[in-house]
Amino acid sequence: MKDRRETWAKRRIYTVGAFFAVFFTVVSARAFYLQIVKHEDWVKLAERQHQKTVALTPARGAIYDAHGEPLAVSIEMDSCYAEPRNIEEMEDTVASLAPLLGINRDELVRKLSASRNFVWLQRRMSPEQAKKIKGLKMDGIGFVKETKRFYPNSETAAHVVGFTGMDPEGLEGIELKYDDLIVGNTGYLVTERDALGRSVGQAIVKQSSQGGDITLTLDKNIQYIAEKELGKAVLASGAKGGMALVMEPRTGKVLALANYPNFNPNSYSQYSPWVLRNRLVADSFEPGSTFKTFLVAAALEEKIVSPGDSFNCENGSYSIGGRVIHDTHKYSRLSVADILKYSSNIGAAKIGMRLGRDKLYGYLKNFGFAERSGIDLPGEAIGYLRDKSQWFGVDLSTISFGQGVSVSAVQLTAAMSAIANGGVLMKPYLVEKVTDSNGAVIRRFEPHQVRRVISPETATSVGRMMEGVTTEGGTGMNASVDGYRVAGKTGTAQKVDPVTKGYSVDKRTASFLGFLPVDDPRLTIMVIIDEPKTSPYGGVVAAPAFSAIAQQSLCYLHVPPAKGVRPPVPRTIEVRKETPQEMQAMVAEGTITDGNEGAMMPNFSGMSMRQVLRVMEKRGINVKLLGSGRVVEQFPRAGDRIRPTDQVMVKFAPSA
Amino acid sequence: MKLAFIDRRLVANFDWKLLALVLTIAAVGVFNIYSATASYGISGTPYHVRQLYWIVLGLSLVVLSCSIDYHLFEDFSYWFYGILVFLLLVVLVAGRTSMGATRWLSLGFFNIQPSEIMKIVMIMATARYFANLQVPHSLRLRDLGLPFLLVGGPVLLIMKQPDLGTAILVALIVASIMLYVGISPATLATLALSAVPAIYMGWHFYLRDYQKNRILNFLNPERDPLGSGYHIIQSKIAVGSGGPFGKGFLAGTQSQLRFLPEQHTDFAFSVFAEEWGFAGGMFMLTLYVVLILWGLDIARKCNDYFGSLLAVGVTAMLFWHIVINIGMVIGLFPVVGVPLPLFSYGGTSMITSMVGMGILFNIRMRRFMF
Repeated sequence: MKDRRETWAKRRIYTVGAFFAVFFTVVSARAFYLQIVKHEDWVKLAERQHQKTVALTPARGAIYDAHGEPLAVSIEMDSCYAEPRNIEEMEDTVASLAPLLGINRDELVRKLSASRNFVWLQRRMSPEQAKKIKGLKMDGIGFVKETKRFYPNSETAAHVVGFTGMDPEGLEGIELKYDDLIVGNTGYLVTERDALGRSVGQAIVKQSSQGGDITLTLDKNIQYIAEKELGKAVLASGAKGGMALVMEPRTGKVLALANYPNFNPNSYSQYSPWVLRNRLVADSFEPGSTFKTFLVAAALEEKIVSPGDSFNCENGSYSIGGRVIHDTHKYSRLSVADILKYSSNIGAAKIGMRLGRDKLYGYLKNFGFAERSGIDLPGEAIGYLRDKSQWFGVDLSTISFGQGVSVSAVQLTAAMSAIANGGVLMKPYLVEKVTDSNGAVIRRFEPHQVRRVISPETATSVGRMMEGVTTEGGTGMNASVDGYRVAGKTGTAQKVDPVTKGYSVDKRTASFLGFLPVDDPRLTIMVIIDEPKTSPYGGVVAAPAFSAIAQQSLCYLHVPPAKGVRPPVPRTIEVRKETPQEMQAMVAEGTITDGNEGAMMPNFSGMSMRQVLRVMEKRGINVKLLGSGRVVEQFPRAGDRIRPTDQVMVKFAPSA
Repeated sequence: MKLAFIDRRLVANFDWKLLALVLTIAAVGVFNIYSATASYGISGTPYHVRQLYWIVLGLSLVVLSCSIDYHLFEDFSYWFYGILVFLLLVVLVAGRTSMGATRWLSLGFFNIQPSEIMKIVMIMATARYFANLQVPHSLRLRDLGLPFLLVGGPVLLIMKQPDLGTAILVALIVASIMLYVGISPATLATLALSAVPAIYMGWHFYLRDYQKNRILNFLNPERDPLGSGYHIIQSKIAVGSGGPFGKGFLAGTQSQLRFLPEQHTDFAFSVFAEEWGFAGGMFMLTLYVVLILWGLDIARKCNDYFGSLLAVGVTAMLFWHIVINIGMVIGLFPVVGVPLPLFSYGGTSMITSMVGMGILFNIRMRRFMF
């Protein structure tokens, strides 16, 4: 009996035990699922819950010129925030903080009493201000490093570099074009918080990775020269504005790209959109006579004309298709070379007619007109070249001398570079390489051939003809550079009135486009003066700037002068008696010892801009020029020690 | 039959291994309470110290309940039952209300919770009933009539307090005893079928809104993530983010930053699972499995039917607490305030568990008495 009961009990116990075992198994399986299988999901949920994350300005990489001179840098500044729930003494905090932040108490109280865990008090404050607030050591007030964009060279290359908005995204120029490479990963300020939303422990900053550094093909010195000379030319001609582009024809590297007026990217908001726009890239215009170069190149390549052929230039007036074409001066017969030299519209029209619509259109397309050059700047204009099927009547003739077609300055310079380099259209580019914060190259840009347009022989031939333009009697004499052979072409185009859609009576685009030295072209330079007042001719208002830029740039690049050409002599433009101060400066100049240390700041007082530049260029020192006229102020003071990297400021005022 | 009999034989037969197991679980519990309350910033006696006091008190109750021969419980079980039903009625009329529930009777210097004592008394009464029920076969429906009344009354009274968790536990404990006694398959099927209308009636006429919400939120925690679903979600986040090996002692983010509700009492195990991970959780679960098997072993080796039933009842009580609590913590069961025996902070829970353990020790040490 007892045994039976015992076996029975045993069986029942096993039943109960098995029943219990089922539950234990289910619980274990569930725990396994939760903690092993779905572990990651729950971790994310946990982090989202207990961490308050505030996004911080990502650090942008720097932008350097070809020699590593910084054009745009990010500097670290303190941003101040509050965690209202952690503030113990609200009264005291507000009382001591409000004056330091420069906001009134009510506003601060409102900020701090907001039901948020986190509130920015001031982002990117001055170091002194931050130091004062840090000194108070208040609970619930914290600091984190954020970067601010700074352009150490102010106006220099502003249109190329561009600028960034308050949120550090690129808004213009390289800053915009390569935004995704420059901008780093967003940093985060992470605060641990408990279930009541109070921050616990120290705020942890998840450091962002810094973005890539960009090295441009741009040479700050050439850029500076171009800007300076362009500015002078615009001011001298009373023009509305102007642009200058310096390119290396062999590679398509842009060495300088200047718009005038320009702006200071550190305070870009004060400028009008027109000033901020990189008109050199974004605007198109009628090229005028510079276009004849491409016509001649096409005609020579097609061998429908030879350099010796001559055309009847109809004594300055030629009627075609119901329209009369005029030349500035009356010529009877001109060779092809002379048509370029004297810029005869009639001659060009005749060459164009001989070449024919299809051929001309084909060559113009091949030279890169009516297509984007691909320069690495945003908002490039495409220009306007009607399809050849839409060319009627006089169109072939007018397009032959650059009317009824519009181009961008970049297209024009790239096309001219193709003639300079022996006939290959190169893609213009501005960025040499992108490096990461350790200096390793992320991306390198190489010269890119778009296509061969003309043969080397044709290119050489056209170059020689263009040389005539800058020699005695040519329209571009003012573009000549002592010591070098210059090929170039002037341009004067009527602007299209945006209201009447017809040609404006008085508004002109004066230009000079060329390259040098002719034998081994190192630079293609384009200067365009927009709406000059003193004279409409490119040979008058643009050519001198071309000459100045070319001369200084070649000197800077140590390009040896050609043999058999008049050697360069220092030109004394301003014939004036030297003032005693200037004499002193000249003397001081002689005593300045070159090298990395020990140079002294000369006394510029009373000197002209040109004199100042001469002195400073010799020293290889960058000088920032403000105003015009005579030197009234300078920094550092005369006699102070300066190094080539120092920023030198000289202020001018018109002399009475 | 000896009333109070302590001699050397009894001491010799005392199950020291079981005591070691119980103390191990309780000790881990104390450490866990220390971690769970580390962020509380309370003044006065810390929770883990107070828990030690409760353990000491519990151990003295073990000694006390060991010293009384359990056969005596058989004689007095109906009396106890009657007293407890009366006390439950008193609670409904004159109980102390706290947090929306009336569960406590104030006795001046301390409060007692009759529903908690009822668990033990119900085990005794049920054990006595079935021990005396001389049926040679498995239980049939007509054999269950009286036990239903025996259980039903107190369960309804406890639900009325309202204390859904305890009511369910009492019912489950009795059901487990019945499972041990043996129920015929036909009866089991009938019960299962009749459960459907019972649940329906219960839902509509008996459950409070917050209880319904708890069940609905259990079924779909996202229903109210900041309200009563909060508990489930937070606990799952804590346990799940613990991963295989946990975040380390005092390093659980969810518990140290106090996202977990009731983290030293009902949700103590989620703190443990967050900080010690799956490995730690399985370790604790293993200790409990051993405890339960030990209890069943005591039942099996017991020489009399009442003792065997009593042991099964006590073991079932521990089992259901463990399963429901851990199930709740890992989102398997709805939130019904059930503490983890010997582990969660709380005097009531500790005393009930220790009294239960005392009964098991009692039965174990007297198995050779006949």
